Amino acid sequence: MNVKLRSAAFSAVACFVLGGLLAGCGSGGGSSTGDTGGTSGSSSTSGSTLQPGDQTPDPNKIKIGLVASINGDLKPWGMDSQNGALLAVDEINKAGGINGKQVQLLIEDSNSTPEQGKTAAERLISKGCVAVVGEVASGITAQIALAAQEKKIPVVAVGATKTELPGIGQHVFRVCYTDDLQGPVMATFAYEELGLRNVAIVTDNKQPYSTYLSKTFRDSFEKQGGKIVDEQFYESKQTQFGPLLTNLKAKNPDGLFLSGYFTEVGPIVRQAAEAGLNAKFLGGDGWDSAEILTSGGDAILGGFFCNHYNNQEDRPEVKTFLEKWQAAFGGVPGTTMGALGYDAVGVAIDGLKRASDVNSAESVLAAISETEGFAGVSGVITLKGSGGNPDKRALVVKLAKEGQVYEKAYEVSEVKR
Amino acid sequence: MDLGVSLWAAFELSTLPQQVVNGLLLGAIYALIALGYTMVYGVLRLINFAHGEVFMLGAYTALFASWFLGYGKGSSLETSGPLNLMILLIASMCVCGIVGVAIERFAYRPMRSQPRIAALITAIGVSLLIQYGGALVLPIAPPPSINEKVNPYRGVVTMNLVGGDPQLLEGYEKAKIEFETTEKAWTEARASKQPDDVVRALRDKKNDADRTMGDLQRRMDNSGVKIRIPQGQLIMFGTTIVLMIMLTYLVMFTAVGRAMRAVSHDFDSASLMGINVGKIVTITFLIGSMLAGAGAMMNATFLGTPLTTFFGVMPGVKAFVAAVLGGIGNIPGAVLGGFLMGIAETAVIWAGYGQYKDAIAFIVLIVVLLFRPGGLLGSAKVEKV
Repeated sequence: MNVKLRSAAFSAVACFVLGGLLAGCGSGGGSSTGDTGGTSGSSSTSGSTLQPGDQTPDPNKIKIGLVASINGDLKPWGMDSQNGALLAVDEINKAGGINGKQVQLLIEDSNSTPEQGKTAAERLISKGCVAVVGEVASGITAQIALAAQEKKIPVVAVGATKTELPGIGQHVFRVCYTDDLQGPVMATFAYEELGLRNVAIVTDNKQPYSTYLSKTFRDSFEKQGGKIVDEQFYESKQTQFGPLLTNLKAKNPDGLFLSGYFTEVGPIVRQAAEAGLNAKFLGGDGWDSAEILTSGGDAILGGFFCNHYNNQEDRPEVKTFLEKWQAAFGGVPGTTMGALGYDAVGVAIDGLKRASDVNSAESVLAAISETEGFAGVSGVITLKGSGGNPDKRALVVKLAKEGQVYEKAYEVSEVKR
Repeated sequence: MDLGVSLWAAFELSTLPQQVVNGLLLGAIYALIALGYTMVYGVLRLINFAHGEVFMLGAYTALFASWFLGYGKGSSLETSGPLNLMILLIASMCVCGIVGVAIERFAYRPMRSQPRIAALITAIGVSLLIQYGGALVLPIAPPPSINEKVNPYRGVVTMNLVGGDPQLLEGYEKAKIEFETTEKAWTEARASKQPDDVVRALRDKKNDADRTMGDLQRRMDNSGVKIRIPQGQLIMFGTTIVLMIMLTYLVMFTAVGRAMRAVSHDFDSASLMGINVGKIVTITFLIGSMLAGAGAMMNATFLGTPLTTFFGVMPGVKAFVAAVLGGIGNIPGAVLGGFLMGIAETAVIWAGYGQYKDAIAFIVLIVVLLFRPGGLLGSAKVEKV
């Protein structure tokens, strides 16, 4: 009797806990996306009019596939890339489609992981997509490239900056710059504009993106005459950075290059200020997020990083893009992936317009590889004879209370590699 | 001889006191989590792999509790202070305690009469279930620490051990004036749209002055020996020590503690002596999980990287190693192991081999286990076959 009573009590408690957790999460989910999109204008889907359309393949439409990180770690980037893609497709359909044929955007979730990215790409190809767009990260893009290799389906990557990608230039193309460019851009900016000479590097040992970016920065900065006084390492998801910051402080650097992602860079910079480290903070496009402003606090303000696109840049393409975004989703894109997603689909559509046969991946691939002078929101994209890597400009942006502020644009020729 | 000299020169002796403090701060959290592993192992001879996930749920509880208190997005609440932090702490500890007991009740107790390996595999299963199952319902969210209203303790406590060099101050004042004049000249030249090369020359001049000023300021700061501890981390450390003292009292001086020690000594005999073994196991899980909850709340509130359902994996692994290092099943051993792990990790970073810090922590573990298979304070019992 006693035993039975107690186990009943246990079940009641367990149900309560589980129920409470579920309820908590239900209400929490919405407000968290708001948080991540937050400060610099959010791309949250609330109040948006443009939504993913019917996902069943329509034989009468031209099908473009999109692999996006709709869930998982990269969700803020994934949602922006999806919105950018939706916008580009909506635009061409409203303009009458390609030679009178409407375009259908089929979307699959990669859940921010390479494995599921590959499955997603395979599913899109089996549904008859003639081009696949995605992803925002290099690791996932590499798997998409492999999935598309056999049938030679053209892949347009959104934000994959890793220099080495399988099939790049053959059937894989990108609309962003590579890490070979952004490291030197920041090194040039640090040496010339900020006048830094003794810089220390902080690298995320678990991310190939971070280790490679640190290397390109170091090479360029040393070649220009600067000195790298120290390099310290951490790992993704680490929370306490006191020991490495104490080391860095003793080396007396006038600048700190943090090549990792915003998830750790914010806390590092905040703890660096607490440790009394007085230096200028610099980084790569892994910083791009609204969240870094909250996790980095006041310490991150005045930090500089390399980015593909900026909402405040004074160019007609940017202005019209922002107007369209405002009409479709409200607000402005929170991250650069909105513009890159829009450009990536734009390049695919531009290829489809010039392709001799829109239903054959082969002719679409040939057309995309001939892209010349495509006026994208993030800059002019030329893929012809470029080995899949457009020679695109890179921006240096500054973090301020209101978000990312445009600082300087570097053309490829201005960068000292 | 030469090698010895250059080897010592590579170490920054002036940062040593600060690094020892860093190591202790890091080790305290490892120790707190390691206690949960070691207590459960003590009574059940089971490695509770789901302990890291209990930690993760504690961090989420702190987040939800902070939202519940009105610190979510767009909050207009003005109040902040120790009371709210206490509420977060108690909420995390309660939820973790309940989750820990529930895991024991529904996953481990049915396995009690089965071979030990079955319970071990169940533990791994529960851990994966919470990690991946949780990902379906729990959002990826910034930690509560980002809200200044949740954690108002942002200051730094500074202790001067050796004073700085006063001569540098004079130079710094001069350099500061120099920087301000050059910056003004540059800003004016840029605003009045003077030719590019003029602006560039002024910019370089300003940068040179800025560099001299910054360099002097940093040298002034570095010339003394100082220990800086962020307030939040000091609170973490203090709370951890208080919890450890409370645990010691409970285990050593109460009837429940005596029963716990008896069960740990011999499970079957203890039940023959009239101890309600099931109750003691429940209490052990409750206390161990509550400690993890406290650690999680403090980690999420005072430090904090974004919360995901994998938030507990790394702390869990490190704390498990700490528990084994100190002698799993031994409560003072877990504390010792935790502090040793923290200090070893910091020492490796201090010596300039930061990229190998985890490798070296595990090498320490292997070496200790080679010479003392039961861990530092554990007793190596010969298993009877």
